[in-house]
Amino acid sequence: MAKTYQYCVAENWGKGFIEHSESQKITFRGYPANVWQVPAHNKNANVWINKVLGQVKTKDEAQALVDAEVTASQTAWDNNNAIDGETIEQKIDRIGERPQDITLEE
Amino acid sequence: MSEYKGIQGNKVRNYTSDPDNPKEGQVWYNETSNTLKVSSVSTVGSWATGGNLNTARNGMGSAGIYTSAIAFGGATPSVTAVVELYDGTSWTETTDLNTARGGVGGTGTQTSSLAFGGETTVPTGATESWNGSSWTELTDLNTNRALMGSAGSDNTSALAFGGEVFPPTANTESWNGSSWTEVSNLNTARHMLAGAGTSTSALAFGGRIPGVTGATESWNGTSWTNVSSLNTAREKPGGAGIQTSALAFGGATPANTAVTELWSGSSWAEQNDLSTARQGSGGAGTILNALAIGGDTTPPVTTATEEWTGAGAPLIQTVTTD
Repeated sequence: MAKTYQYCVAENWGKGFIEHSESQKITFRGYPANVWQVPAHNKNANVWINKVLGQVKTKDEAQALVDAEVTASQTAWDNNNAIDGETIEQKIDRIGERPQDITLEE
Repeated sequence: MSEYKGIQGNKVRNYTSDPDNPKEGQVWYNETSNTLKVSSVSTVGSWATGGNLNTARNGMGSAGIYTSAIAFGGATPSVTAVVELYDGTSWTETTDLNTARGGVGGTGTQTSSLAFGGETTVPTGATESWNGSSWTELTDLNTNRALMGSAGSDNTSALAFGGEVFPPTANTESWNGSSWTEVSNLNTARHMLAGAGTSTSALAFGGRIPGVTGATESWNGTSWTNVSSLNTAREKPGGAGIQTSALAFGGATPANTAVTELWSGSSWAEQNDLSTARQGSGGAGTILNALAIGGDTTPPVTTATEEWTGAGAPLIQTVTTD
């Protein structure tokens, strides 16, 4: 099956990392661990990866990086029990929902 | 073939940085980035990255426009008093709030803004006024609260609506420059909502009831009226704009979302997504040019800022040979 997306790791340095002229040509999705998803087999995406010196990752490699960040966040949420007798709904009201798993697409 | 000089009447000029207000169709060479640039008008809304905050956080107060904004307080996840100013390119730290807090309400401009409510370890009503160089403590909200909606034009007029009081409240208060007065309640009690507009003409959208909601209400200075809901219900969205033209971006559904929607005064329409899904970001600006500031990107909190350029807004583009 042909890939729809490709992945890279690149640190967002701020202004100029993604420009409007780029986001109007391709769709960017940023994930935990500085993982970025852009279209596969796309010249504009390849130009952008080169611009940001992105380290290309397979989907499985990118998924492992994302999973590590999400698991750490879930553990931190589970261990945040500052108030005795607090219900799950009260905890959600206090600190928000438990971080959810993220599944990257092929 | 026509030459640029023949059409425009002058040669392509060199600049060390992009000119502030280029004419539509103007072309120039940026000597710093070694790129050819052209000024055009955006035909579709999109997000680009802006300068990163110095301090990563969510739940901050924010105010201003995309080239002149202020972000104050928030959670790192510990509550912080940090204040930063944005000049359209980068954030610079300035004088801290007197009271560190997260989930703080904020309105106004970069030189005249108001910080109110939030959470220290419990919800607070603390109100502080910013004059461009320092914060002054003023009269507290009547109802302590965090994660409320907020609207207002400067440090003399603001609206605080909803928020976290345990349980979420529908309470609304109006600020006249010296004190808060209770006014008509929201129709739907909630917290983690966003707001846009002024103290007499505002919009409340999204939040948590406790379930996430897309409920949108319009304030006419006297009462709230239910209007069309967001297409994507969510808590902790970012917001920008005014009562009749607003932008909602990000939030949690409960998973973090990048969805952006544009309010036309009667309904919400989906736009291009943020590049990074996030909740609890600050917002500033208008539907033509807005900022999404920091937030929670599935922890850790982020420094990332995104700049929205809406359809019809001036846009500087790099000319390529593709």
